[in-house]
Amino acid sequence: MNLDPQNLPESNGSRPLSLVNRFSRVRLKEQEGKIFLILPSQDKKEAADEWSQIQTDLNYYLNNSENFWQAGSAVSLVAQNRLLDGRQLQNIERSLARVNLKLKCILTSRRQTAVAAATTGFDVEQTKADRYLERTDASDSESKEPLYLKNTIRSGVEIRHSGSIILLGDLNPGGIAIAAGDIIIWGSLRGIAHAGAGGNRESKIMALKMQPTQLRIADLVARAPEKSPEQIEPEIAYIAPEGIRLYLANNFAKIHSFSEQLQAWTEN
Amino acid sequence: MTRIITITSGKGGVGKTTITANLGTALAQLGKKVALIDADFGLRNLDLLLGLENRIVYTIIEAIAGECTIEKALVKDKRQPNLVLLPAAQNRNKEAVSPEQMKEIVDRISANFDYAIVDCPAGIELGFRNAIVAATEAIIVTTPEMAAVRDADRVIGLLEAEGIEKISLIVNRLRPEMVQLDRTIGVEDILDILRIPVIGIVPEDERVIVSTNRGEPLVLDERPSLPGMAFKNIARRIEGDDLPFLDLMASYDNLFTRIRRLFKA
Repeated sequence: MNLDPQNLPESNGSRPLSLVNRFSRVRLKEQEGKIFLILPSQDKKEAADEWSQIQTDLNYYLNNSENFWQAGSAVSLVAQNRLLDGRQLQNIERSLARVNLKLKCILTSRRQTAVAAATTGFDVEQTKADRYLERTDASDSESKEPLYLKNTIRSGVEIRHSGSIILLGDLNPGGIAIAAGDIIIWGSLRGIAHAGAGGNRESKIMALKMQPTQLRIADLVARAPEKSPEQIEPEIAYIAPEGIRLYLANNFAKIHSFSEQLQAWTEN
Repeated sequence: MTRIITITSGKGGVGKTTITANLGTALAQLGKKVALIDADFGLRNLDLLLGLENRIVYTIIEAIAGECTIEKALVKDKRQPNLVLLPAAQNRNKEAVSPEQMKEIVDRISANFDYAIVDCPAGIELGFRNAIVAATEAIIVTTPEMAAVRDADRVIGLLEAEGIEKISLIVNRLRPEMVQLDRTIGVEDILDILRIPVIGIVPEDERVIVSTNRGEPLVLDERPSLPGMAFKNIARRIEGDDLPFLDLMASYDNLFTRIRRLFKA
């Protein structure tokens, strides 16, 4: 299959592409046998609907990430300097309960949040500094571990990850997946996939059914041809010396190798 | 337990309100107690489709403000004793109500009914959030157009993020003759993208327009019609009956189309 090559318009800008997932502001982390739910710290000029956004992100994260925890595990909420009332805490408790987690303890640096947590019946631990933030942020938001998702990425959803993305499901039109590494889709790719977003031209995009709106690898862009092929087989998109190309997945590795000199995959 | 179902689509003009009116009437005909809630503040239509416009005294706004009891705001249907409508306000916009208020009022109403069906406005802003806040399940309405399917996909994502897991699909205004000639996307193509269970397929029919203009839901019409039968079947599927889908292709199946299909295969 031939693709129409184009130059990526944003590649001229010097602004680096952020690879931190919007929903990874919220995340679960296992540390020393305990599970922590970490919320982003509160900004002074935070938008009014920020909280409902955080809640949506939390639900999305819980529903779509791989469950590493045991059913019924207790969770400590790292609320940082966020001001939370009893109802918001109960909403978090309900979201966690849906994935078999139990909210037990609230770690907060705000007095009002501590009071709300205590009156709602949670354990409270007042923290002074953002010590959990320090320990987790740097390593986690730039994680090189693959992100494993087992759901459809629907229209309007954008997934960013600083490693590779493995998706067990479809990437629908209007959905975007952006990864610093490879993108592997065990399903149909109909939306936009951007592999090697940090500039790695060795990155590849793989899909069982390749019908993309657009493919991007490193600083290159390609559109799928207007006419889709009769038979659709698993394919790999990669950077060839001529631009982004597609190749049948089962034969790719046998006859292709990456040339450091050309910064592209070449046929042996 | 009361089932609170939101009828939503993302895109406007795909038939949410028509489907709400017909499903509510069909469920009431099955002997269920049904409350229809119009969540489309400022652009209310559901009362028109049910022919109840001239019976509205209070709206959901007055009920929320406590200016009248909820019972007073409920408009009884003139044909179905089991069916009531909670009308939206026409003189306010969608910001007049908050999701918390909406959840409280829907929960209070639904206690007395088997079904509460919420007619959601188009879009994904506050009006949409108001309409889904109390819902335990959702029915997505789409038409065989890419734009409608794309918007439905977006809305399904939002519903899933809100923890509404029971989501089913109605494909509305299907034109079998166009599918037959490969001029439009079919139900299979829609399902391939949305991947949620179908609960009904409703064919396009002029009589739907006639019935909405008259304020008489099509399911009440004594002369049988394909869309009317489709609506009744959807109501029974909501109730849990396992019914086969109507064969919409039957009337377009002639020798010519059969030969075409033979060659395509």
